[in-house]
Amino acid sequence: MKKSLLMILMMVVIAITAMGCATKGDLEKVQSQQMMTGAKADQAAQDAQAAKASADAATLKAEAAAARAENALKMAEERERIADEKAKMADEKAMLADEKAKKSDDTFQKSMRK
Amino acid sequence: MCRVIDLSRLCSRLLPIAVFIVVVSLCGCATTKSVREEYQPSAEFSVAKGDDVIGRLAYITLEKGDTLPDIARHFGLGINAVSAANPGVDIWVPEAGKRILLPLSFILPDTPRKGIVINLAAMRLFEFKGDIESIEVFTYPVGVGTEERPSPRGQMYVDHKVVRPTWHVPASIAADHLKKGDPLPAAVPPGPENPLGEYAMYLSKPGYLVHGTNKPASIGLRATNGCIRLYPEDIKKLYANTPVKIPVRMVNQPYLLGQHNGVVYLEVHAPPEDIDTIEFDRMYARLKSIEKEPGRKLDWSRVKKVLAEARGVPFPISEIGNGRGIAEPVEFSHPTELYGRPEVPELKKDAWSVLAADLPDEIDAVRLAAMINHQGPQIPARVLSNNGSYRVIAGPFRDAKEARDAVKRLKIDLEIDGALIEPVRKK
Repeated sequence: MKKSLLMILMMVVIAITAMGCATKGDLEKVQSQQMMTGAKADQAAQDAQAAKASADAATLKAEAAAARAENALKMAEERERIADEKAKMADEKAMLADEKAKKSDDTFQKSMRK
Repeated sequence: MCRVIDLSRLCSRLLPIAVFIVVVSLCGCATTKSVREEYQPSAEFSVAKGDDVIGRLAYITLEKGDTLPDIARHFGLGINAVSAANPGVDIWVPEAGKRILLPLSFILPDTPRKGIVINLAAMRLFEFKGDIESIEVFTYPVGVGTEERPSPRGQMYVDHKVVRPTWHVPASIAADHLKKGDPLPAAVPPGPENPLGEYAMYLSKPGYLVHGTNKPASIGLRATNGCIRLYPEDIKKLYANTPVKIPVRMVNQPYLLGQHNGVVYLEVHAPPEDIDTIEFDRMYARLKSIEKEPGRKLDWSRVKKVLAEARGVPFPISEIGNGRGIAEPVEFSHPTELYGRPEVPELKKDAWSVLAADLPDEIDAVRLAAMINHQGPQIPARVLSNNGSYRVIAGPFRDAKEARDAVKRLKIDLEIDGALIEPVRKK
């Protein structure tokens, strides 16, 4: 009887142990899966961060390019304004020179009378 | 099998060929280089029957110190003609190196080709000699009357001629001079102060003359009191060539149409803002009539351009199909000396002079000095630079009186307040 109880007990222990091993394996599997998931999650997070950083960098780059373009336009407008002013001053100078020459010519013509 | 080439023999054969090529190339360069001719002054032209255009256009490149009045006189032109043919060129300080057009081609006025014809609009006199089969024309630039005292139009003749005339001052002119503070005597004897110059031809219309001048720079200007002025060298020739009683016709034809070698030319002397309606309509009617002639095709866009520019130069306005037109313009070499250019003597410390102006701008100073130099009689003047400004100094004058007279003339004629500069006294 004792022997049969002992046998039964041993079988139960072995079964429980086996069940425990199976559970441990599952646990390890789960743990492993969890680790993998965690790693994947980390990777995904990192990727997301990298993508965000990249997007931010691209945005910055685009903004910088836009700023440079605007600056270039402003400078071109300024140059055009300066050129217009110079042309206007040159025209005024030429007009004054023409007026002076015409006045001289009129004075000279008068001096040629008897 | 290899062939041995004797290089020395090859070179000796190639050398003459190379020399030949070099010589031909140089000849080619010589022919493509423009040839400049020397101007041969001549006021005389032959006019073929049915022909209306005489002369030939020319170009010249200006040198430093040239003025358009000096260029005009040397080439037998009036200042108006040179200036109109070269719009935008400064009369007194033109750019050295500038190539300008000499309008040495003219369309004859639309009048009988007999005696003297003066086209007031073109400021040019034509004297016709010969008969209908063979006509010679002598042509000279002239100065004409002002707007207030215009030259008369119409038919008259040369009544009499005088060498070294006395100028009997008309009352109206005497009054004008008195107003300016420049009283004139009743008569001005022959000499440098006489505005008639050395020769005068009195016209049948009283008070009007064709005469010389003591102001050569006035030829091509509307500056007389109605008389016709010529350069001294031109009146001398005209006087010798012109008999008394020769008919003189004065017309005002600003739009001249003429034909030469099958091509129709238009010459315009009135700018668009100064249109003479009657003459314009007359010209237009003639153009329409010419257009109706068989084989004629007028370039109306060209007509408009010539009218707008009014350069006083004959331009072709009909297609030069079978017609050859006038010869291509010639390039003149710049003369060593320009005839009649005022000489400017050296300033002397022991002579009187006059400070005419002290100007910041060199061009203005050079212009003023040129105008003073071209007064009649001449007042010599030059520009001296002085610490960033430019002084126009007139002189040298023999004595204080001569210097004061110059100051007076500068004030009356050019509205300049000159300052006497005393000579440096020797110690």
